[in-house]
Amino acid sequence: MASRYDRAITVFSPDGHLFQVEYAQEAVKKGSTAVGIRGTNIVVLGVEKKSVAKLQDERTVRKICALDDHVCMAFAGLTADARVVINRARVECQSHKLTVEDPVTVEYITRFIATLKQKYTQSNGRRPFGISALIVGFDDDGIPRLYQTDPSGTYHAWKANAIGRSAKTVREFLEKNYTEDAIADDDEAIKLAIRALLEVVQSGGKNIELAIIRRNQPLKMFSAKEIELQVTEIEKEKEEAEKKKSKKSI
Amino acid sequence: MAATFFGEVVKAPCRAGTEDEDEEEEGRRETPEDREVRRQLARKREVRLLRRQTKTSLEVSLLEKYPCSKFIIAIGNNAVAFLSSFVTNSGVWEEVGCAKLWNEWCRTTDTIHLSPTEAFCVFYHLKSNPSVFGSCPRKNMQITILTSRHVTEYKTSESTGSLPSPFLKALKTQNFRDPVCCSLLEQPNIVHDLPAAVLSYCQVWKIPAVLYLCYTDVMKLDLITVEAFKPILSSRTFKGLVKNIPQSTEMLKKLMTTNEIQSNIYT
Repeated sequence: MASRYDRAITVFSPDGHLFQVEYAQEAVKKGSTAVGIRGTNIVVLGVEKKSVAKLQDERTVRKICALDDHVCMAFAGLTADARVVINRARVECQSHKLTVEDPVTVEYITRFIATLKQKYTQSNGRRPFGISALIVGFDDDGIPRLYQTDPSGTYHAWKANAIGRSAKTVREFLEKNYTEDAIADDDEAIKLAIRALLEVVQSGGKNIELAIIRRNQPLKMFSAKEIELQVTEIEKEKEEAEKKKSKKSI
Repeated sequence: MAATFFGEVVKAPCRAGTEDEDEEEEGRRETPEDREVRRQLARKREVRLLRRQTKTSLEVSLLEKYPCSKFIIAIGNNAVAFLSSFVTNSGVWEEVGCAKLWNEWCRTTDTIHLSPTEAFCVFYHLKSNPSVFGSCPRKNMQITILTSRHVTEYKTSESTGSLPSPFLKALKTQNFRDPVCCSLLEQPNIVHDLPAAVLSYCQVWKIPAVLYLCYTDVMKLDLITVEAFKPILSSRTFKGLVKNIPQSTEMLKKLMTTNEIQSNIYT
């Protein structure tokens, strides 16, 4: 049944599906995991780094990109589609600043990206963008924001979310562990992001990339050493928690 | 032939039979040459059994000599990775032989040497317990089949986005009495290809057999998909075959890194 209605993007199936959009969501699941957390004073983006080929320059494989000084995004899905969307978003950020003399709000740029994606679900001859994006940043009012967009062009605000492969597992972990206490402290929010990724990342800390934005500060990418430090601390805490458990049971 | 809305031409099925019957009759007359080519192809397409180390062929009767109580077959790279890291890694397994076949769609013309991209099956038997292996139906034999399929082929009334993939489903023959390690495959889902053939054979010959099918959204070799097979380790067939689980997990991680195919399309 599906095969008759999935050739062209502009065709609805009899039961109301746009199959190309749903297939685009499958393409997103082929990208590695990205997680975003909105803390009280910090926003965190963590991604699973894809292993690069030996001769490939690691710097050119980036999943976290700055759109402006105060907004950054992580994506999952088709690399080339992401490049196009990011370029358009970056141009829009500057255009907005020059026209209106104010930096974009996180919601504005998310809406721009989502509208762009939606246009490609309604045009003849084009296919939808095969990426989902997590967009984080601080607005002028100092409130942290996290938005997620998907290939259909919808966007929603989230407290914490994950996209890409095994996103469901990570989201369930976040639902269990995201508490107001956990995110009140910046370090705890960072640790929560790393712990969420460690649930699904195949080789531990060296395959994780992390970026944070604190209020009124520019984007900071964590170095491999800093991530290793965090991972070691998390493992220590885990061990201590397990020791306590075993003591209690005795 | 019919033209669709978008300008593509598709062949429409016609109940009245083919329209160009007369022309086809002429083309169908076979020359002796065609028959000879067909005969040669049929010969090449045979299933060959051979010993990998010595590259000599293996007699089927030699394989049949081995007694067997448990036969485990893994189909697909994730199931094979599970078996090789958790089962064949514990204990000493000796390779007995392998079965290889060739048909016109294979990319190589070499019918003797194996390459990783071809379809073949390797038979192993446990040195310490040689009854764990076999190739033909024996009494008291139990068969376990492991395979994986893409989650989009799973038919359900729920939306596929809410499925907890990867997940395991089981399908068993009437004679299989042991408890299964996961829920059974619901209708209208069906099993395809080799696992279906093996299960049908077992059902007809009244051999107890169970198929564990992992629905996953990552079809290439993936740690989480392989780990989804873990509940099987508690079943009767696998108890005693698997000794060292942490070591197996390490082996699995090594297998992942060596077999990773570089692709820059998805990030």
